Amino acid sequence: MMPAIDPRYDARKKRARVAMFITAGATVASSALDGTRLSGWQWAPWVLGLCLIIAFCAISMNSGGGLRTRRGMSGMSGMSGLSGRGWGAGDRPDGRMAHRWHGLVMVSRMMPGPAGRRWLAEAESVLWEIPAARRATAVRSYLLSGPRLAAVMWAHEGLRWARPGPRHPR
Amino acid sequence: MTVQVQLVLQALLRDPAKEMYGLELSEETGLQPGTAYPILLRLEHEGWVTSRWEDVNPRAEKRPARRYYRLTAGGAVQASAALAGARRPKGAALRRLAQGDGAA
Repeated sequence: MMPAIDPRYDARKKRARVAMFITAGATVASSALDGTRLSGWQWAPWVLGLCLIIAFCAISMNSGGGLRTRRGMSGMSGMSGLSGRGWGAGDRPDGRMAHRWHGLVMVSRMMPGPAGRRWLAEAESVLWEIPAARRATAVRSYLLSGPRLAAVMWAHEGLRWARPGPRHPR
Repeated sequence: MTVQVQLVLQALLRDPAKEMYGLELSEETGLQPGTAYPILLRLEHEGWVTSRWEDVNPRAEKRPARRYYRLTAGGAVQASAALAGARRPKGAALRRLAQGDGAA
């Protein structure tokens, strides 16, 4: 079953991708043409600016709509979105919770695709049912364990590819 | 074997045929869900645990599908043996985990 898609999401995603392409292209071109003139630490503002622009684009892809429009979430069938329409009227997260939810999405993107989707879907499933008083602590626990888990998952992924013979199905 | 892994295995071994979902396991063990997940994943990679998505209509249930975990036949035997050989966690350690989730 396909999750319901927010029609604004595609446009927003497209804009963000275009912005990222333009930025990356402009940076590569300017580095190729003017790179030799940059001396000392003059490259630092360029790198910082690029990072800020990429972060801005990534955040813009995450804003609004909640998880309902995110990648995968096959188990949710359109019910997902702790920061979106999936919440009950009295259950909508405050600003800090929504921010932490975006953090979970970002952490899931540090993981290999299917593993990240599963982690996020499971986190959402648990956070949906957990009592509100315990939700913030639970989100924090996911955020704290996420990066290490991402490292482990990438190591597994690397080993899987390095292993000779036929690949295991995902 | 860490105390957290022992807690998860103990919870699963109480009824090896029963499937448990993340929140249920978290409540049973006193671990935060973010702490329990990597343990379950590791046990799954080792073949001790198997998991599946709940087959429900989230709209009808008004909640997302749960991920259910269950010990495999071999996993149950290995987990029992591993727990028997492992040092039992002290009461104080268990209380500390239940209160503050030491690993989180």
